Amino acid sequence: MTDPVEKKVAKAPEGQDPAEPTTLEARLRRLEEIMSQLEADEVDVERALALFEEGVRHVRAAEKILSETELRVEELLSSGKVRPLDTGEQDGGGA
Amino acid sequence: MTDDPTLDLFGDEAARSEAPDTPPTSAPEPRVWSVSQVNRAVRALLESAVDALWVGGEVANWTRARSGHCYFTLKDDRAQLRCVMWRTEAERLPTDPDEGMQVRVFGTLTLYEARGEYQMSVKSLEAEGAEGLWRLAFEKLRRKLEGEGLLEPARKRPLPRFPDTVGVVTSPSGAALHDILTVLRRRAPWVRVLVRGARVQGEGAAEEIARALTALGASGACDVIIVGRGGGSLEDLWAFNLEPVARAIAASPVPIVSAVGHEVDITISDLVADLRSPTPSAAAEAVAPDGSVLRAQMRDVPERLARGLRGTVARRRDVLREELARLGRDLERRLAPARQAVDLGVARLERGVVRLVERRRQRLSALTGRLEALSPLAILARGYAVATTEEGRVLRRVEDFPPGRTFMLRVGDGSVSAESRGPVAEKAPEEKA
Repeated sequence: MTDPVEKKVAKAPEGQDPAEPTTLEARLRRLEEIMSQLEADEVDVERALALFEEGVRHVRAAEKILSETELRVEELLSSGKVRPLDTGEQDGGGA
Repeated sequence: MTDDPTLDLFGDEAARSEAPDTPPTSAPEPRVWSVSQVNRAVRALLESAVDALWVGGEVANWTRARSGHCYFTLKDDRAQLRCVMWRTEAERLPTDPDEGMQVRVFGTLTLYEARGEYQMSVKSLEAEGAEGLWRLAFEKLRRKLEGEGLLEPARKRPLPRFPDTVGVVTSPSGAALHDILTVLRRRAPWVRVLVRGARVQGEGAAEEIARALTALGASGACDVIIVGRGGGSLEDLWAFNLEPVARAIAASPVPIVSAVGHEVDITISDLVADLRSPTPSAAAEAVAPDGSVLRAQMRDVPERLARGLRGTVARRRDVLREELARLGRDLERRLAPARQAVDLGVARLERGVVRLVERRRQRLSALTGRLEALSPLAILARGYAVATTEEGRVLRRVEDFPPGRTFMLRVGDGSVSAESRGPVAEKAPEEKA
């Protein structure tokens, strides 16, 4: 059971702008941007509403990522493939 | 002579074959040994007579030949000893000793037959102080990397705050991996760990670590990489003090956290890495945010977003209100001159009307005066009276008043009814009833 190396864990959830960030780092960074924009007074109401909705989407997605409880441990093989690494501990190997 | 033990030392075929021929000769020919025989015999003598030993002295003329063997002289203020260190042993040296360095060597005495020079075959070499040569090797590499700017603080990259994938280069069976996974499981179980195993000590370990780092970096999957191992002796940790590891770390496309041994151990790997952690566990903590803190922060975010939105709406509303008020004030200001004009007009009109009325009134009172002057009533008011018939015909002459005639007498403030008693004798020019 090997997968080619994939760049990031999180895939874009259903029905979402593909340009929207999907990694936790990117989402949280975007959230900070959104909050500072909302707290500045340059935004018009229409835009503020769009930002608010986008922000809520990021919060939901980030919470989903953070609710993951099983550490996924994999091994990078010399072939460039990845396979779950059995660490002899109860992590089930992820994937 | 054959029972002389020293003869045995001179060896084998030559000595043995010649020995039986010599004894009965009357004119004793001197015994002539070949140079090879002598050197071989002395070498055997030397090697069997002296046990392996430690010799201390100062290093001079150190050369490492292309073959990998090392040649040098050990000396003190009065004497010199030629030394050789064969490749197998020389390769284990962390670095070549400096000229004049105080060292001690362990080995056996022997003779280099080709030259007839006696020398020491050195198995190991230590600089004064237990870590001398290691320290020297460390400092040499450190200076070299420093010279290339690879240790500059400016080169240190910040770690990603929320990595999705953490690369790990260490022994797959080592304590370091176990410690790292334990910490990540506790703090950030959502991350993915991508391990690339490598031997972390022994021959070729540095190259293996370097290849593993390069492979993880090239995979493009990692946001940050931890490289390290658990504690061990200086020699165990040595791979992390070697140039291949340093180069691989410096070339990594993602930030590297180095965690080698315990708190006290500082390696070249630590110096080149973007972050040095005292232990593998600490590296895992440095790399992953604390999930419980992060989740707590996330809980506040929706409220902050909502507050931001409400704030924006409220600010817009205030701005609109302000604009409306300003518009009102503006209108007021623009209309003011017009309003003044109207006021002025009205005032002028009023004054006109007043003047007109006044004029009329004056004319009226003038006319009234004249009218009053003409009015018979005015005359009556002065005391005259007018007699008229009841129909209003004015009675002017005496004959108009036969006795018993009733008539109306009009005076200043009204009329009275009267009756004539006839004409009166002419006594007075005027008469009044």
